[in-house]
Amino acid sequence: MTTLPAPFEYSGPEEWRQPIEGALRRVIDPEVAMTIVDVGLVYAVSVELGAWHVVMTMTSAACPVTDVILEDVEDELERVAPNGTRVDVELVWEPPWTTDRMSARAKAFMGW
Amino acid sequence: MRRQDSSSTKTRRISLRAGFMALVAASLAYGIAGGLFRAGVSLGEFAAAPWLPQAVLGHAFLMVSSFLGTVIGLERAVALKHPAAFVSPAASGLSGIALLTGYPAYASILAAVAAVAFVGVNIVVVARQRAAHTALLLVAAVAWMLGALLHATSAPTQGVISWWLAFLVLTIAAERMEMTRLMRRRKGASEALVGVLAALAVGSAASSVASTSGLGSVLYGLSLVGLSAWLLLYDIARRTVTTTGLSRYMAICLLLGYGWMAVAGVAWVGTSLGLPWRDAALHGIALGFVFSMIFGHAPVILPALVRLKLIYSWAFYVPLALLHLSLFARLLLPNWLPGAARLGSAANALAIALFALVVLSSILAWRVKYSPATNQHGNALDT
Repeated sequence: MTTLPAPFEYSGPEEWRQPIEGALRRVIDPEVAMTIVDVGLVYAVSVELGAWHVVMTMTSAACPVTDVILEDVEDELERVAPNGTRVDVELVWEPPWTTDRMSARAKAFMGW
Repeated sequence: MRRQDSSSTKTRRISLRAGFMALVAASLAYGIAGGLFRAGVSLGEFAAAPWLPQAVLGHAFLMVSSFLGTVIGLERAVALKHPAAFVSPAASGLSGIALLTGYPAYASILAAVAAVAFVGVNIVVVARQRAAHTALLLVAAVAWMLGALLHATSAPTQGVISWWLAFLVLTIAAERMEMTRLMRRRKGASEALVGVLAALAVGSAASSVASTSGLGSVLYGLSLVGLSAWLLLYDIARRTVTTTGLSRYMAICLLLGYGWMAVAGVAWVGTSLGLPWRDAALHGIALGFVFSMIFGHAPVILPALVRLKLIYSWAFYVPLALLHLSLFARLLLPNWLPGAARLGSAANALAIALFALVVLSSILAWRVKYSPATNQHGNALDT
């Protein structure tokens, strides 16, 4: 059996991995009709007591929808996080996004 | 990460947003009024309005520089998140007011300032992300600047219009190019696109010089047909059209737009050969292509630009259908149906007004559904 590569780096208690991935998969970019996880925009999530930190990118530095997507990520995570958790979403441009980050499902949808 | 604005900062942001919205809406409304008059549509009591002559003469200026230049400038400024980036949309927005209040020379200067500032903004974007699509956004900004400078120096219309529309076409092409990165491309696809876009630029340049204007227009038209074919082949819209909801609606807008781009390209060549297809050449691009993009992207761009969320629904298809049916009547039927051009133009304007109405009611629907009292989660990008 082959295991699929993790869609993003995760550090923190194992019990939070699934709820966080689930929350991130609810953020959809309607332009590409896919979740931000399938497009490969989420680089890393770290979970510490009282503070969640997400590192993600966008496909374009000229994208005006960036703030809306970052806020959606924050909102979805706050819905599953324990009360009082601080959720930080950090936008980075390095390393730049490439098609290698797309999930198998995303690539199949786009005809790869 | 969420910024806690102080109430004074928040008030300033809201008034700035309202100010920009008013400038954009004014340019659009008066630009359309000028266009309707040109098409021979009766404007009733507005026919004697003091602003009408300027709106008629400056129809293209209002639509391209004051309306779309401001919207695109705002889009880029929001992405860049730097206050100085708002100089460009402020200047282009005010250029419309200057024109309508009887100061066309100042309007041209303001538009040129806006376009030069916009080139600066795009240089910063390229520095932030060195990629083919950001470089193309910069080329688009340069096209606007050349058009604005030619307009300010009262150069012949053909060159000005070619650069202005190239600005819009290149901007949208760059944004689509970014999306096509998600698709697997055949070998040589990128080179083909560069070739087509270079032809568009050379066509614009040649159109600006009297001795090569005819040849330039032929090249311009052919490059539009080529770009349309490239986008139909490689845009993700071909894939996302099979989905549902907002994603499918956006894809349909894109594909219809690419179809009109091809029609406009053929009409552009025909016009340069002496055929009476000028309206199809100009408005196949400006309405068929550009407004299709606006209709398609407003549901996702508006929440980003003006912080107004909305609920997408099937109602968005109504103005879209009206726009395309009325364009068909206006651009393709006049040979057989006298009056189709005028009726089609009036229905074009109605489609845009109807679209604004659908957007407003979708914003209201979001407010009702996710009002703070109900304390529910509201995602702007409901699909």
